[in-house]
Amino acid sequence: MNAMLQEQTQAAPVAGDHPLAGRPMSGAEIVVQVLADEGVDVVFGYSGGAILPVYDAVFRFNREHLAEDGSEPLPLIVPANEQGAGFMAQGYARASGKVGVALVTSGPGATNTVTPVRDAMADSVPIVVICGQVPTAAIGTDAFQEAPISSIMGSCAKHVFLVTDSSQLEATMRTAFEVARTGRPGPVVVDIPKDIQNASLRFNGKGQLPIPGYRSRLRAVAQARLGDRECTDFLDALGRAERPLLYVGGGVIAAEASRALRAFAEAFGIPVTTTLMGIGASDTTEALSLHMLGMHGTAFANYAVVDCDFLISVGARFDDRVAGVPKLFAQRAKYIAQFDIDPAEIDKVKRVDWHHLGDISLALDRLREKAASIGFDPRGQGRFAGWHAHIADLKKTHALDFDRSSALIQPYAVIEEINRLTRGEAIICTGVGQHQMWAAQYFDFTAPRRWLTSGSMGTMGFGLPAAIGAQFARRDLMVIDIDGDASIRMNIGELETVTTYELPVKVVVLNNCGDGMVRQWQKLFFKGRFSATDKSLHRKDFIKAAEADGFQYAVRLDRSEDLQRVIAEFIAFEGPAFLEVMIDPDACVYPMVGPGMSYAQMITGDHITSRDQVKSAETGPAEMF
Amino acid sequence: MRHIIAMLLQNEAGALARVAGMFSARGYNIESLTVAATHDPEISRLTMVTIGDDNVIAQIIKQSRKSIDVIEIADLTSRSHLESELLVVKVAATESGAAAIARFTELNYGVILDETGNTRTLQFTGRGSHIGAVLTELAAMTTILELARSGTAALERGESVLAPADLTTLPY
Repeated sequence: MNAMLQEQTQAAPVAGDHPLAGRPMSGAEIVVQVLADEGVDVVFGYSGGAILPVYDAVFRFNREHLAEDGSEPLPLIVPANEQGAGFMAQGYARASGKVGVALVTSGPGATNTVTPVRDAMADSVPIVVICGQVPTAAIGTDAFQEAPISSIMGSCAKHVFLVTDSSQLEATMRTAFEVARTGRPGPVVVDIPKDIQNASLRFNGKGQLPIPGYRSRLRAVAQARLGDRECTDFLDALGRAERPLLYVGGGVIAAEASRALRAFAEAFGIPVTTTLMGIGASDTTEALSLHMLGMHGTAFANYAVVDCDFLISVGARFDDRVAGVPKLFAQRAKYIAQFDIDPAEIDKVKRVDWHHLGDISLALDRLREKAASIGFDPRGQGRFAGWHAHIADLKKTHALDFDRSSALIQPYAVIEEINRLTRGEAIICTGVGQHQMWAAQYFDFTAPRRWLTSGSMGTMGFGLPAAIGAQFARRDLMVIDIDGDASIRMNIGELETVTTYELPVKVVVLNNCGDGMVRQWQKLFFKGRFSATDKSLHRKDFIKAAEADGFQYAVRLDRSEDLQRVIAEFIAFEGPAFLEVMIDPDACVYPMVGPGMSYAQMITGDHITSRDQVKSAETGPAEMF
Repeated sequence: MRHIIAMLLQNEAGALARVAGMFSARGYNIESLTVAATHDPEISRLTMVTIGDDNVIAQIIKQSRKSIDVIEIADLTSRSHLESELLVVKVAATESGAAAIARFTELNYGVILDETGNTRTLQFTGRGSHIGAVLTELAAMTTILELARSGTAALERGESVLAPADLTTLPY
């Protein structure tokens, strides 16, 4: 391998090669050139000793490639903390589908990105994190700012490369992007010792590492096509079904398969419910959209899951927040089909009767074509008319609702009002907790990549930095961070980042003076002992904090009657805007399927109609998570 | 139950730690692990013996197969396969006991690698159960001073070959 690369390095450039092929470059310059070649247009990161050569190379690259309007091709966006850089890269990636890049130094710089790297793995988000490392000779000596990044990240990234041979640096950088964006996307970490960054090398302009196992598996999945037999089996099952339901996950967003999914659902007339990660895959404002299912899904989505006789999972993974008790999940489904790109997801939680591993769009389109060719048209024949009427009835009878007469500001009302103005067009980022679930429930989403949330890892502090990254990816869309008073504290340093880069990000803090979701669990499962979750005596003045960080618009909303007016001026404000809303501290997230419980045990609170007699979950299993 | 898992790995720093980590992260102990380069120096073959729930092991194998470093992976447990292990053991040898040790070694297809006035260093190969029996008998016969076991190496019986996907066609 080394010999082969070196040979290529010394070969004279020929036509079709990279224009810079053969040019002498330092390792750091090669890193920057590959970033540019990979289409990177913003880098989020924090400098430090072991990454200085790359920061210097970015500086020089930008100076030499200034656009006519004076803008830099690779702007460096500096967070308050490297965790922020990782989440900014994620926000950029989630909003655009492109690979986000974070650039950090060794030791603490790198370890601060462990959380966003694991978070990206859990939600299948493509990012590349480039870490400086102490010089090769110093590795393992407890050198200043040294940390064993390849071991640490090896356990939580899709892959980690430690570059110890400078001749492999260029191919490694390119391979990192390939691995991040292909297959089931994920985070890739490249750990580059300082001496490798300073090495005198020659730029190849091409070449990747041989990763034969990975590429052959990728090829197998990419080339997989639905055979006639598989099509027939699927369509036969659909022909026998009376109550089919699409259960759609984040895989559809990652695969850019939203178009194919909507066409499929439309053609056959199959209602759609999405997971937290799948929100936006279908247009939530459509009649056959049931919005989110699961622990805090809509009651009508969860009832539809209980009632369906054919469940079609597309890019979803029967996660514990959806299928808390796998054997009771969609128990009446006589047939379950599963589409995914990852063989490890098939039969992982729930056995399925039919599955397809491969590109989702190709498969769904193929089934539609096959059905058309044999004149199979359940929708046209009105086959599911009864089911559609049932769905409409469920949506009407068990609609989301809350106490609309309360004197206290209801968080749901805040989101409804913002949604009335943004109409499913804004990018919504969140922290983790009650506000996240309220946002998931009450916002409309007409398009994918508009809902950015830490789904699997559930990382508080995700929202603000993700919003910053998203705004860099989508300058044309309004980006709103719906946050909680506890979540925003986690990365509150990034408020300053918003104003430093003059980003028109809108930040909403739904303040209930504490960790609301944890309090909700303590209320339900720990007899109301609010251990360490009450922040009513905390003295933070969020408005002063936002003002101190340069927010020209920083307003506290604490009277119900001002709600409409203040939200309208907040949304209309051009530039960074901060809104703190003092909400009803006792507002809960309903519906709720308790951990380890089935949908039949779903509690719906006082304002959503339940169709089952459910006892209070007071004695819920405390060992469940 | 006991599982024998064979893996072809890219011969790279960290690859072994990452796949072993898949098992340890679930609290599964690795009973034995052997790894060495194959006839292709870019590829290592790893044989792992572990004990655990069949479904969990199947899931770990699926997850391991996603690892960038893993070229191929197979659970040999349910297939007809060969297992072999190497034992190098140093035992005390008194003047009167030395002949018995030599006879025992020969009988069990072992080799005497080294001898001093007071010790013999012996080598045995065979299935794990055979190696276990040899050790029990040796322990009854003399004092075991130290030993090193290689862990299990395993291949599937017959013509089937664990090879990178594009090399699976047999050369004949």
